[in-house]
Amino acid sequence: MSELRKDLVSGRWVIIATERSKRPDDFRPASEARPASEPGGFCPFCESSESKTPPEVFALRAEGTRPDTPGWRVRVVPNKFPALNRGTPPPKFTRGVLQWMEGIGVHEVVIENPDHAKELADLSVPHVRDVLWVYQQRIKAIEEELHYQYVQVFKNKGKEAGASLSHPHSQIVATPIVPKRVKEEIYGADRLSRSCKECVFCRTIREEAAAGERLVHKNSHFGIFTPFASRFPFEMAVYPLRHSPFFTDLREEELGILAGTMKAVLTKLKQTLGDPPFNLVLHQAPNPSLSHKTWPDIDRNFHWHFEVFPILTKMAGFEWGTGYHINPVSPETAATFLKFEGPA
Amino acid sequence: MKKILLVEDEKTLCLLYEEELSKEGYDVTAVNDADAALEALASGNFDLIITDIRMPGKNGIELITQIMGQRKDIPIIINSAYQSYKEDFMTWAADAYIVKSSSLDELKRKIKELIGD
Repeated sequence: MSELRKDLVSGRWVIIATERSKRPDDFRPASEARPASEPGGFCPFCESSESKTPPEVFALRAEGTRPDTPGWRVRVVPNKFPALNRGTPPPKFTRGVLQWMEGIGVHEVVIENPDHAKELADLSVPHVRDVLWVYQQRIKAIEEELHYQYVQVFKNKGKEAGASLSHPHSQIVATPIVPKRVKEEIYGADRLSRSCKECVFCRTIREEAAAGERLVHKNSHFGIFTPFASRFPFEMAVYPLRHSPFFTDLREEELGILAGTMKAVLTKLKQTLGDPPFNLVLHQAPNPSLSHKTWPDIDRNFHWHFEVFPILTKMAGFEWGTGYHINPVSPETAATFLKFEGPA
Repeated sequence: MKKILLVEDEKTLCLLYEEELSKEGYDVTAVNDADAALEALASGNFDLIITDIRMPGKNGIELITQIMGQRKDIPIIINSAYQSYKEDFMTWAADAYIVKSSSLDELKRKIKELIGD
């Protein structure tokens, strides 16, 4: 029997098509080998290619090494050919039913490590912590410019997930407007929080931990589960147990535990599905340096989180036309394969 | 005289660029595909490469990646009708990405910036 499930926060419907149910092996790619280099042997993100990127805006590097030279562990550079350019938010123009504005924004690339073949899951926990810490620093720095309502951190891994280079990297894009998906979450969370008298994300993780059927892992600070209305097979959500709307509020000791947790999540994904392409996205509340008056009680109602979804199915006419996703693996089944013990 | 290797499959565009850039005082060698560009590079010295992306056979991104594997010292300008290839981080191998337009002013300015007159 298939089931129509609703994600209460976003209001999105998903078809869990259990009759098509598949096992992780059905999704394993034919070849799991990662290329040690790009075809042609050149990669602009590798160590010693620093001259091919714009000057770094941030880096964790060995003492005594100069910017834009080898010796870095994590390096952040602006996009060389950005779709959005830095600047003050331009006015919105309107003509009839049309609305537009100049393409203002920030687009940075976080090169997670100098080794082309080492994915985030392959790095040491302290190195993963460094990458997460760098996300925090860049978000804060961009938010302080006061021009951007929202800073989106995301990672595309593998061609099918939108990555054009296999060298491990994440991206940070800041926009002068809050994206629709985040707005949906803000308003959905507000609506639900008013009816359940607490943060709906806090309640969700508590209920998921108690029920256990979709719980992948829970430690002292974070809970991971396969969402009830998962859009994608083996989709996971990573929630902090301590309520906070901002990822940038994460404390030093929490960052270390999150690093171990994220490494374990990505390693489990790799082991279960054979190094699949995936997207990782961070959702947090809009820029706290700007007024939050327009957002309903956001400090109380919004709860930052990561979403991880392997790209194993394709969006086609039905999905684009209706906004529904068809997920051939129930989240309950996915959780049985993804569950792990430890590390934090 | 500075030497430019132009890689462009549209023959009429090739003629236009050759004429315009020659007037600016550059020595232009034009080829119509990536393989011919690699051959030209193997046998001659160039100060700059201008390449299209969408071409029959190897595309411009594959071409510059291959060039980077051998030598990184020649400045490269991508000259494409499409913005969308900017999303491919391999284009960072190039020093500039110019979207084709009816005016060659931006291209000429970028050439001057990279290699002078």
